Amino acid sequence: MKIRDNARKDEQQRDAGRDRWPVDGTTGQPLEPRAQPGYYPGYHTLSQQAFWDEATRKVVLARVHDVPPIRFFSPEEARLMQAICDRLLPQDDRDEEHRIPLVNYIDTRLYHRRIDGYRYEDMPPDHEAHRLGLQAIETIARHMYDRSFVDLGQGEQDAVLQTIHDTNPPAAQDIWQRMSVQRFWMLLMQDVVDAYYAHPYAWDEIGFGGPAYPRGYMRLEGGKPEPWEVEEQRYEWRAPDEALSDTYRPVGGPGGHKQQPSGQEGTH
Amino acid sequence: MLGPIQKIDFPMHHFAPDEEVDVCIVGVGSAGGVLIQRLARAGFRVVGMEAGPFWETERDWVSDEAGSSKLYWNDLRITGGKDPITLGANNSGHGVGGGSVHWAGFTPRFHPSDFHVLSSDGMGADWPISYEDLKPYYELLETEIPVSGPAYYPWGDPHGYIYGPHPLGGVGDVLVKGCTQLGIPVVAGGPVAILAGSHGDRQHCIYRGFCIQGCKVGAKQSTLISHVPDAIRHGAEIRANCMVSRINMKNGRTTGVTYFDPDGHERELKAKLVIVSGYAIETPRLLLNSACPGFEQGLANSSGTVGKYLMVQIGNVVLGRFEEPIRMYKAPPAHALTEEFYETNPKNDFIRGFAIQTVGPLPIAFAKQMLVAKGAWGWGMRRVMMDYNHWAALGVLGEILPWEDNRVELAEETDQFGLRVAKVTFNLHDNDKKIAQAGVKKTTEVMQAAGAQEVVQESRYAHLVGGARMGSDPNTSVTNSFGRTHDIPNLYICDGSLLPTQGSANPGLTIQALAARTADYLISNAGDVLSSHPERISVTNPPVRRNLSPAGTANKGVPRFV
Repeated sequence: MKIRDNARKDEQQRDAGRDRWPVDGTTGQPLEPRAQPGYYPGYHTLSQQAFWDEATRKVVLARVHDVPPIRFFSPEEARLMQAICDRLLPQDDRDEEHRIPLVNYIDTRLYHRRIDGYRYEDMPPDHEAHRLGLQAIETIARHMYDRSFVDLGQGEQDAVLQTIHDTNPPAAQDIWQRMSVQRFWMLLMQDVVDAYYAHPYAWDEIGFGGPAYPRGYMRLEGGKPEPWEVEEQRYEWRAPDEALSDTYRPVGGPGGHKQQPSGQEGTH
Repeated sequence: MLGPIQKIDFPMHHFAPDEEVDVCIVGVGSAGGVLIQRLARAGFRVVGMEAGPFWETERDWVSDEAGSSKLYWNDLRITGGKDPITLGANNSGHGVGGGSVHWAGFTPRFHPSDFHVLSSDGMGADWPISYEDLKPYYELLETEIPVSGPAYYPWGDPHGYIYGPHPLGGVGDVLVKGCTQLGIPVVAGGPVAILAGSHGDRQHCIYRGFCIQGCKVGAKQSTLISHVPDAIRHGAEIRANCMVSRINMKNGRTTGVTYFDPDGHERELKAKLVIVSGYAIETPRLLLNSACPGFEQGLANSSGTVGKYLMVQIGNVVLGRFEEPIRMYKAPPAHALTEEFYETNPKNDFIRGFAIQTVGPLPIAFAKQMLVAKGAWGWGMRRVMMDYNHWAALGVLGEILPWEDNRVELAEETDQFGLRVAKVTFNLHDNDKKIAQAGVKKTTEVMQAAGAQEVVQESRYAHLVGGARMGSDPNTSVTNSFGRTHDIPNLYICDGSLLPTQGSANPGLTIQALAARTADYLISNAGDVLSSHPERISVTNPPVRRNLSPAGTANKGVPRFV
């Protein structure tokens, strides 16, 4: 009985996973999780590490091999944060071994109280903002579906998060009195992309060259790959049917006249 | 070691703990680096205080976006107003070399028109100097940095560059192609503070695209590699990891500074002259935090303008997706631009204008742009990022005028030293918004003319100047044109906070040129400024000293009659 239960559970789990896989744009079939999604199969920045300088190699390899423990979030908060990150930057197309641990890196920043050198006057400190944000997301989930965020389906979870993206959250108004919805969305997403696109697996996925000192580049024009880079091999895919995040609409929602956030990074 | 082949192979001089020095410079960044080099060469006994570390570049810097955050001023500041500006990585440095460590390195000169915006256009401010006053210093710094660029540069005061330009990368291709289609003049390969060929003990560019993460190669100039070694060779001392907390005063004169040493102990440095070079946030903050009896509103603030007229530039990024790959992570982000729309055009409903420049965001920066520009998240973020190599990014660089309500004040909150942190308030005004709009529109046209299938944009700001502006009238400015404060004869300011207006040019070259000019003023008046009567100034129009450049950089380029 127990064995059958377990088998059914496995099956359910696998099936529960399948509907989260992106879909082949041509066949309509779910795309099996793979070690390296993206259009650059066979391209591995880590394979070039012998050509990197010592200081960079140390920093990047530590990112891959020494994942920091959770110290800021409580176990319950970490579980909720994981569920949120799974929607803000889904990795269902990656196999287990090649998923990028976003929560650990966000947790580490908050644990060390590392900030980017400023705080908006209408925001609490980053670590408080994240705690309040978790409470708010859970409150919205219960308001919309009467269930905890972690127990919702992917479409429901997306719908909860989209209310924040659209700066139109239907609940937790006491929290939004204390911090700007839009700035919280920006903070959350910036932390998520900071963690994901710092990882060599993400560089492989998007065909970014990664560390390039002291070797440098020789082929600058025409988008040509270096001899150790690879040509793009595109494939058509679409997000799972239930997901809401594969269409683009401005922060603040469609047709809104809300002020757009301004960018954070230095470029010029 | 600074870069793979540049070494500082001589010991740094250390002044005795209670020894009074001639000059204390607070902040060894773009301005402080040039200033300390010149003053040391001229024989001044000079100490530079730097809140951040003295970088050992090969050990401390990485070829990695996320690993480079230590290059920025990451301590708390509060930002607000109707259009709050982002700080930190966007526009501040921490460590010897300051912001010049992570600037992209575009080094255009200001145009002659920049120096009389108020007289010509009825808004903004006039400088107490003209372009001609600064021109010889532009020429000097362009060889000291040195600046690579086109043989002929058509805008402002047309001139050429003696160090050869860089080859084009994918984004430069897009800019040149788009501009050419529309008949817009454009230059390629500079002007940029990056070596296209080897120079002395520095190497040439390897086109890896990590300029704003600090150039490990040593090809991109920072004052850490171009001026600081020469300063140390000539007896300057730099006290790194030392945070100045207060400028000390006695009988209306400064007597030096109080600072926290690397172990957190409070110490004092006595100096005959203090020069504040902390940039547009920390300079006003220090002046305000140094308030004392007789200077209740902060030092050098009888005009009430300390902290005011702060400026950033319109820095919107216009992003275009192309069918063919671009791979914009290669080549220096800064390598082609047009200043065709820089000047006031009577046909516009605004004064002044903008430039269009190449930028080259690496993946994290690009993801954050897409977060705003497309509202991307979730699978949409994953999808657009998989197309990273198909996107090109152009930066609008637009002039924001100086407004009194854009300012630095002190917040109630304090930092780890117990010092009140800066509170920055910023509002865009009508003219600023119109420039942003026009800049985005024109840049979008250029992107489309180059063949982009999809064009989106992200609003943001670039650079940071003003906050302690120079001027002829002590009632509306903090210093004279040499950075000498109107109120305190032996207190000077020398950094980007002096700028009354900013044009649509990246401010780095102008900041360094102004520092060389201030140095000449101090050197010509050394007998006065180091005496017990620093208020006496004998030489009000000091000659340009061409013999103070760092070793190996002087007397190069176009022959001149002396």
